[in-house]
Amino acid sequence: MNRAPVIAGLGITEMGKVYGRSAPEFAADAVRLAVTDAGLEPHQVDGLLTNTGITGDVGLSLQRDLGLRHLRLLSEVQAYGSSAGAMVQYAAMAVSSGMADVVACVFADAPLKDKSTGGGAAYAGAGGALTGWQGMAAASGIYSANTMYALAASRHMQTYGTTSEQLGHIAVAQRAWAARNPLAQMRTPITLEDHQSSRWIAEPFHLLDCCLVSNGGVAVIVTSADRAADLAQPAVHIRGWGQAHPGYVMGKDSEFGLVSGAALSGPTALKMAGITIADIDVAELYDCYTYTALISLEDYGFCAKGEGGPFVASGVLGPEGSLAVNTGGGQLSSYYMWGMTPLSEAVIQARGQGGDRQARRNDMVLVSGNGGVLDHHSTLILSPHAR
Amino acid sequence: MPVGTVLRDAATAEFFDGTARGELLIRRCDECRGPAAPQARTCPHCGSPLLSWTPAAGTGQVVSWSVVHAKGAPPIVVAIVELDEEPWIQVQLTDALPEEVRGGMRVRVAFERPEGGEAIPVFRPAN
Ligand SMILES: [Zn+2]
Repeated sequence: MNRAPVIAGLGITEMGKVYGRSAPEFAADAVRLAVTDAGLEPHQVDGLLTNTGITGDVGLSLQRDLGLRHLRLLSEVQAYGSSAGAMVQYAAMAVSSGMADVVACVFADAPLKDKSTGGGAAYAGAGGALTGWQGMAAASGIYSANTMYALAASRHMQTYGTTSEQLGHIAVAQRAWAARNPLAQMRTPITLEDHQSSRWIAEPFHLLDCCLVSNGGVAVIVTSADRAADLAQPAVHIRGWGQAHPGYVMGKDSEFGLVSGAALSGPTALKMAGITIADIDVAELYDCYTYTALISLEDYGFCAKGEGGPFVASGVLGPEGSLAVNTGGGQLSSYYMWGMTPLSEAVIQARGQGGDRQARRNDMVLVSGNGGVLDHHSTLILSPHAR
Repeated sequence: MPVGTVLRDAATAEFFDGTARGELLIRRCDECRGPAAPQARTCPHCGSPLLSWTPAAGTGQVVSWSVVHAKGAPPIVVAIVELDEEPWIQVQLTDALPEEVRGGMRVRVAFERPEGGEAIPVFRPAN
C-alpha cells in the first residue's frame, strides 16, 4: 500500500472580474471542478480544508454547500498567502497517516464588486473609525499591504542596491509568460519602459509591481499514490514541504525586508525531498509584488543574498530564460488567488499540461506561498515522479 | 498632508495618554531592562511578559520609507523609524520632501493633534 501523497485533481473557476457569485459559490464550484478533473465523485471526498480570502466567508459551511457527508477531516486553515501550501501539507499528512483518503483543499475570494452596483475592490484599505495600533498606522498613511511591502522593498533597495528597473525585469518576464497562458487576465506584453512609466502606487512600487485582484476559486485534490493510479490525471507527487513564520522583531537588527521565510521553509522542503535547489526545474513563486518574487529567489538560493536584482536583470527569467519562474504569469499577470496561483500553475507544469508555456524540464517543481507582510511562508516540492 | 484620526483602545490607552502630554512612550522590560516597541507584549531580549512604559528620547533614524500615492490626495511619506532606544515605529514623515528622504536620515518626533482623535506621533528631519 503506497500512501505517499499526490495531487490528483485541480479545479480553477472562471477568474477575474466575475460578478454575481459569492466566494462560497466560487469555492463550491472549484471543489466540484477539481473532483471531476481527478475522475472522482463528490461523495468520495472524505476530507475538506478551506482557506478564506478577505471576504471571510468560506469555511466549515462549505461541507453543507457541497452536500458532503461522513467527512473524516474538516478544518478552516488560515496563514494568509501561505495557506494553499499549508493546506496541501496538512492534507498530505492526513493521507499518509491513513486519516483520510481524498482531501479537497480550496481557496476562494470575491473582493471585486461590480462598480455599477457600487463599491470597488475590498482590498482598498481602511474605512470607518480607526482604533488602536493598527489604527495609528493607518491614520499615519500606512493602511494597506502595498505600503508595508513598499517599506520592505525600500529596505532591500537601500541595503543591497536593488533598483526599480531590476524589479521591472520580473514584471516584464512574467507578462511574457502570461501571453502564453490562456488562463491569464493580462496577456498583452509589456516593456521595461511600460513598467517605469506606470503610475506610482507606493514608492518604490509602480502599478506594474503589484498583483492583480481577482474573483474566483481554486481547489486541488490530495490523495495517495495508490488511489491516484487509476484516476483521470497524471499524479503530481508531493515530495517535500516546509513552513516558516519568522516573527520579525520590529527593532534594531531586524531582518524585515531583507530575509523572508523562504530561507527556512525552503531548506526544510528540499531536505525532505532529498534534493538541492540546483535540482529545481520550475519555480512558482508567490509574487504579490515583484519584490516578493525577488527576495524568494534569493532566500531559496537561486542566487546569493542581495544579488537578486542583478540576477533577475540578467535575462534568466521569462520564456527565453534559463530558469522557469512563474510560468503562468504569476499573481502579477495571471490571476490573484493567494497561494493557489503558484500552486495551480505548478500542478499544470508538473503534469506537462502547460501547452505553449510548458517548461522544458519539469522533474522538480518548487512552489512558494507567502502571507501577511512576509510573516508566513510555505514551500512545496512537486514532481511527476514518485520518490 | 495631515494624519487621520484614531481612537484609543485598551492596549493603546497609556500610549495615547503619553502622546497627549507630548511624550513618545515605548516599553522597557522589568526583568532585563531591555527596550521594546510600544505594541510589544513580550520582551524581545529575554521573553519576559513584564513590560513597563517609559518615555523615549524621540530621536531616531529612517530605516526605510515609501511615498504613498493615493487618488485625489497629495503624496505622503511614511517610514519605519528606528528610535535611538532600538525599537522601530511606523510613522508619517512630515516637513520632508520625498526626494530628500534617505536611509539613516536623522529624525525627531513631533505630535499631530487631529480634531476628534488622539495625538499621533510623526517624525520630521532633525536639523
Ligand atoms: Zn527582557
